[in-house]
Amino acid sequence: MTRGDFLGFGVMGVIMGGIITVPAAAFLLEPIINIDILGQSNVSDDWQEVGPVADVGVEEPEVFIVEFPLTQIYGDQEIQELSPEVPRSQEEFDLTNAVWLSWKAPILEQGDQGNSGDTIGVPERPAFLDEKREGFTPEEISEVEESLNILSNSCAHLGCPVRWIVNADGEGEFLCPCHGGIYDINGNWYGGPPPRGMYRYTQFEVRENGRLYIKHAYDVEEGIPGISTQEPYVV
Amino acid sequence: MIGRLRSQTIETGKFLADWMEDRTGAVTQLEHFLYEPVPKRGAWLYTLGSATLFLITLQFLTGILLLFYYVPTTDHAWNSVYYIMNEAYFGQLIRGIHYWSANFLLAVIGLHMARTFFTGSYKAPREINWIVGVVLLLLVIGLAFTGYLLRWDQDGFWASVVGIKIGSYSPFIGPYVTHFLLGGDVVGPATLARFFALHVWLLPAMIAPFIGIHLYLLRRHGEFGAEFEYTDRISKLHERQREEGYRQHEFEDDEEYDYDDELDEEGGTTRHRRDDE
Repeated sequence: MTRGDFLGFGVMGVIMGGIITVPAAAFLLEPIINIDILGQSNVSDDWQEVGPVADVGVEEPEVFIVEFPLTQIYGDQEIQELSPEVPRSQEEFDLTNAVWLSWKAPILEQGDQGNSGDTIGVPERPAFLDEKREGFTPEEISEVEESLNILSNSCAHLGCPVRWIVNADGEGEFLCPCHGGIYDINGNWYGGPPPRGMYRYTQFEVRENGRLYIKHAYDVEEGIPGISTQEPYVV
Repeated sequence: MIGRLRSQTIETGKFLADWMEDRTGAVTQLEHFLYEPVPKRGAWLYTLGSATLFLITLQFLTGILLLFYYVPTTDHAWNSVYYIMNEAYFGQLIRGIHYWSANFLLAVIGLHMARTFFTGSYKAPREINWIVGVVLLLLVIGLAFTGYLLRWDQDGFWASVVGIKIGSYSPFIGPYVTHFLLGGDVVGPATLARFFALHVWLLPAMIAPFIGIHLYLLRRHGEFGAEFEYTDRISKLHERQREEGYRQHEFEDDEEYDYDDELDEEGGTTRHRRDDE
């Protein structure tokens, strides 16, 4: 075998190998290419309504179900609108998220992640909410936005849904049923395996009608593995 | 009358077996495959491998049956499982077998591994078989994990979320593993489709050749037992085979079938093994 043969063989081998493997690999790894390289999401980027903020009490957080339209495979918008006169799969596929809303409680003593939780005071609910449920002024809107905790129910440990429970002493906490992660009413770490506090929605706005709207985006902390560490999305 | 019928049946059977043997050698292969000396002490423990094989076969068979009714889409998966459990004839039985034999499979694999470990059967020359066994264990765990989501109920859904999120903790490739399994950035239709593909095609297709290699290597080196029992029994087996060979030789004197060659080969391996252990 001459050097020319060897080079020719190598070049042909790379081309033939590429023809065989690249399409199959790209076909399989589509989500990795879309999300991790191109930074796209399957979740709709529109504002979704959560609910009236006046429903959230002082003592306990309130849970709201929010559905984000999802464009995956047969849920893809383009496919669903393909033939409106002969509907084939005219169903909307949603990602159902439970959102916990609570009023921020003042942190009296900063805790230490992994050792002790925060010492907190009584949650502070804007006083004007007792009188009106809608028709907020811009000042009132910003007051509500500043004093609201908007938390995902997906546990920061392994993603199970957390719930609010009140223990025998009358103290409430978010508890994860899977491995016993505990968070306080602010959603900050209080006990158990989670490496951080609950995920917070980072894009939200309260509108004049007294309702909260959010987008599917979370605060992802560097160095803590979540469902994704590169894009601000969790389950 | 009945006696004649019986002898006729036996004759036909023999004729068919000989016919097959002449053309494919299947009968000899089958005998070679079925006869295996097993250590006398703790003989029952040596059935755990067969139990595993039996349960995996059950998984394949009941899995094929379930595929006739199961629909792998997010809006129909749970309904189709409900249909199998409540409407389809014997659906509860077939899905029950699939479910329970999957559970028992993991338990039996654990016992099988423990037996292999405590009898030292992973030692030379059987290391490769241990490694292949570990690959099989990982594939079975993968099958158990992907099968759980297919029911698309709360139980399977959250178990899969936890499993996927465990994958996200893997160093460097965490997000890639997660997004590969999710088929997107959240759990949705793509996740179910992917898990379905992994569960019914990719992983079974991978597990089948590894089972073949596992069995081939087992037949090559035999079961491991106390040396005494082992050599004693294997020599008895070869003696019996030799006798059978001679007997056949007398019948088929004119045929060109060299049993001595085969015997030498077999004898050779026995001697070799004796040297080894």
